[in-house]
Amino acid sequence: MLQFKLVLLGDSSVGKSSIVHRFVKDSFDELRESTIGAAFLAQTIKIKDTETQEDIDIKFEIWDTAGQERYKSLAPMYYRNANAALVVYDLTQKNSLSKAMSWVDELKSKVGDEDLVIYLVGNKLDLCDNVENRGGKEQEEEENKRVVTTQEADSYAKDQGLLFAEISAKTGQGVKEVFQTIGEKLYEIKKPELLAKKNREYGRNSSEAVDINIQRPNTNDPTSCCS
Amino acid sequence: MDLNETYLDGAHESGSRSASNIDEDKSRKLSINNRTTASVPTTSLSLNQTIFQTSISPSNSTIFNPIATRQYEGPNITMDSTNVSYIGSMKSFSNLRHSSTQRPDSQFLDEPTREDGIEDDVLGGLNNEAFDEESLRDKLSESIYSYDGTPTIRTRLRSLVSNEIPSIFKENDLESMQLGRNSDLKSYDKNFFIFTSAGKPIYSMDGDDQQLTSCMGIIHTIMNYFQLATFSDIKSISSMVSGQRVTFLDRSPIILVGYSTRGETHHELIKQLDVLHSYILSSLSERQLSRLFAKRDNFDLRNFLEVTDFENLDEICHLLSDRLYPDLPFNALQCLPMSYSTRTKIHETMLAELSINKTKTDGKELLPRGTLLYGLIISPNNKLCSIMRPKGHTLHTTDLQLLFSLIWNQFQNVNETQEMWAPVCFPKFNPNGFLYCYIKFLKSEPIDKKITSRCRKPALVLISAQKDAFFPLKQFSNNLIDVLRRKGDKSLLREICTPGGFTISEVGAPLIHHFIYKSKKHVQYTMPELNINFEIPDLETELLKYEKKMKNYYQELHNSIFDNDGNSFNASILNFVNWYDTSLEDAEFDGFLKKEPVKVMGLAWLTPKFELYLVCNNGVSDKEKILKSAKKIVSWCKRHQSRLFIQDGAVF
Repeated sequence: MLQFKLVLLGDSSVGKSSIVHRFVKDSFDELRESTIGAAFLAQTIKIKDTETQEDIDIKFEIWDTAGQERYKSLAPMYYRNANAALVVYDLTQKNSLSKAMSWVDELKSKVGDEDLVIYLVGNKLDLCDNVENRGGKEQEEEENKRVVTTQEADSYAKDQGLLFAEISAKTGQGVKEVFQTIGEKLYEIKKPELLAKKNREYGRNSSEAVDINIQRPNTNDPTSCCS
Repeated sequence: MDLNETYLDGAHESGSRSASNIDEDKSRKLSINNRTTASVPTTSLSLNQTIFQTSISPSNSTIFNPIATRQYEGPNITMDSTNVSYIGSMKSFSNLRHSSTQRPDSQFLDEPTREDGIEDDVLGGLNNEAFDEESLRDKLSESIYSYDGTPTIRTRLRSLVSNEIPSIFKENDLESMQLGRNSDLKSYDKNFFIFTSAGKPIYSMDGDDQQLTSCMGIIHTIMNYFQLATFSDIKSISSMVSGQRVTFLDRSPIILVGYSTRGETHHELIKQLDVLHSYILSSLSERQLSRLFAKRDNFDLRNFLEVTDFENLDEICHLLSDRLYPDLPFNALQCLPMSYSTRTKIHETMLAELSINKTKTDGKELLPRGTLLYGLIISPNNKLCSIMRPKGHTLHTTDLQLLFSLIWNQFQNVNETQEMWAPVCFPKFNPNGFLYCYIKFLKSEPIDKKITSRCRKPALVLISAQKDAFFPLKQFSNNLIDVLRRKGDKSLLREICTPGGFTISEVGAPLIHHFIYKSKKHVQYTMPELNINFEIPDLETELLKYEKKMKNYYQELHNSIFDNDGNSFNASILNFVNWYDTSLEDAEFDGFLKKEPVKVMGLAWLTPKFELYLVCNNGVSDKEKILKSAKKIVSWCKRHQSRLFIQDGAVF
């Protein structure tokens, strides 16, 4: 079992708690009080090793933080040791994206870990075009509350080297995949380290030569499922 | 009957000394009450109260003293309670007595109650056809037994004799409140306003922005005028004619104003405003607040507060104005009744866990000294179950009340899989800093559905001054919960999660509808479960109505012995209050039904050690009997105090 720390950041009422709730409980509450401080949850998922095809258990320890400005000073405590960060914005709120961008900046400057996986997530897709969100060709004008276009966020994410997806906590669209992708990505990053550790132990136990057959670089694009 | 006679003597002395004083106050109060009900033309109210001045030896009083014969003059049918015949009610009554005496959990029935004698008499009377009808009526009226309100799995017959408490207060029902949303500020009988010293509105319980701005302008002008003209702050404006009262609390940079026509005293309103102010501090802290206003004194705090804050303020206002919430007026907390040995075991477990977690494991302390400040277990229904505290430190009741209402309002959607880490400022502990609360909800045991709707989840709260103490506290909490689950015959955790409580019939105080007993030493109060039928449709509305009614009764009882500034008239007081609705006395027969006359008596009993407030069943007017029941309640509470109150908690 691998354990990873994950933190959710973003402006208030973009749906961070709803995303976590969807992921952990697979349900959605219309009425949700805003979070005070932060909530801590754990959830385990299974991923497949791309080489050996064996199942790997990954346990996420999730910090669901409050988006309100006044709790900002507490944020470093939550992201300090994080392996992954989900930076959430609201597709129907323009300034929630700029808030998300400032979170990304803060993470990049404050978190030392080079391997921190940052996932930019646009929530409330259910309020936007019901067609698969590709560039807005077939958008129906009247039903659409979208103000942040896919290209805008996507190009920002590409610039910054972030993973990116648009999801809906209400319908559940894309939520599982986001966590699945994070799990796979983190596993991919940590795998050499894990193998090395394993081999060291192996080497200690049986004084045999160290297995130098390290896995070849994974060519799977983890962003493929969502963007 | 182990009644301490000194209380009575004290009451005797003090009562005679201060009687005129109180009477004067009451006559004023009486006029107010007359007016508050004046808008309901059919109800006129008179308030008659006496200071109990003679000591009565309970042994002298006879049990079968007729007290309510008047009730049975007409056809024996009461309209708003039950439509049953005389004999029918008698049968059900005896059934009830049977079922309650044969309860398997006889923990509180170890005292042979004298009513058993009545039961035999009543049954004997039933079997023997030639009973004296007159005396039987008397017996029956005497033994109107308060309904045991617990909805248990065991089916129990309800008493068919009326035990409902009528309301003699002005009804401000939900519909008129909803109508009032659109009408102007005058239509509310109670309101709270919060605004900044510069006159910017922050919050109001009712009313829209437009109305508020002008209203706050006026309030602001009045307050400034007083400061300029008299160099002192205005405290309160009240009108004897309309019974209105406006109370001001200046906590610069915030000003709070309370308005009420419900007969609250200045002191009560100030206390309510203080809670609202404390809430704002708990959310922002004094330091942050003054920093915000230091930059600009016309700062608009509304932009800084969140939707949650306004929702929480709404909830607190609702709790203060519409719910039976004795915590605030009585300055005390309610805790979960639990057997002494169980509670001691919980406290011992807490201390043991604490010392285990303090010992160093591989050179590292899990919970270094000072990490944990306080620990609380809150049982369903927001009663305190256990407390862990450092030696010589206790938390202020206001701080705990705020924490409880936060847990109650804020985290309703939170389930057991989540753990919360919330910064909260405890204004009475330290208004300038935040403490951090680790909150874990415990899985409540599956219980009867009817109760669950009223129950909140039990929770473990660990409070620390260090903002990064989450993981050590989480570890400690996991260990503690684990041990609590395993320990004990029934698992201590299970006991914590079972909503405890007792009913009025367990106490064995005849004729009493409901009571509140406060032990001053423990700063805790206890009361029986609400005496309401849980099987009625629309329980929420009915419960709200009922709570509001009881709140009014207790408020008047409390105010009958405390003056406008919240000081009691004397160290020991025994005071009867009588409410009756004379309009129904000579009411016309409505077809063949006659409304039950309203005649409710209450008792407020204050001594240096305890406070007791009780409301009797409708129609009861014999002071000797009421006093005897009151003494029974006092001795019952004293006998069970280790079960009703938390004595020390786990002190580390």
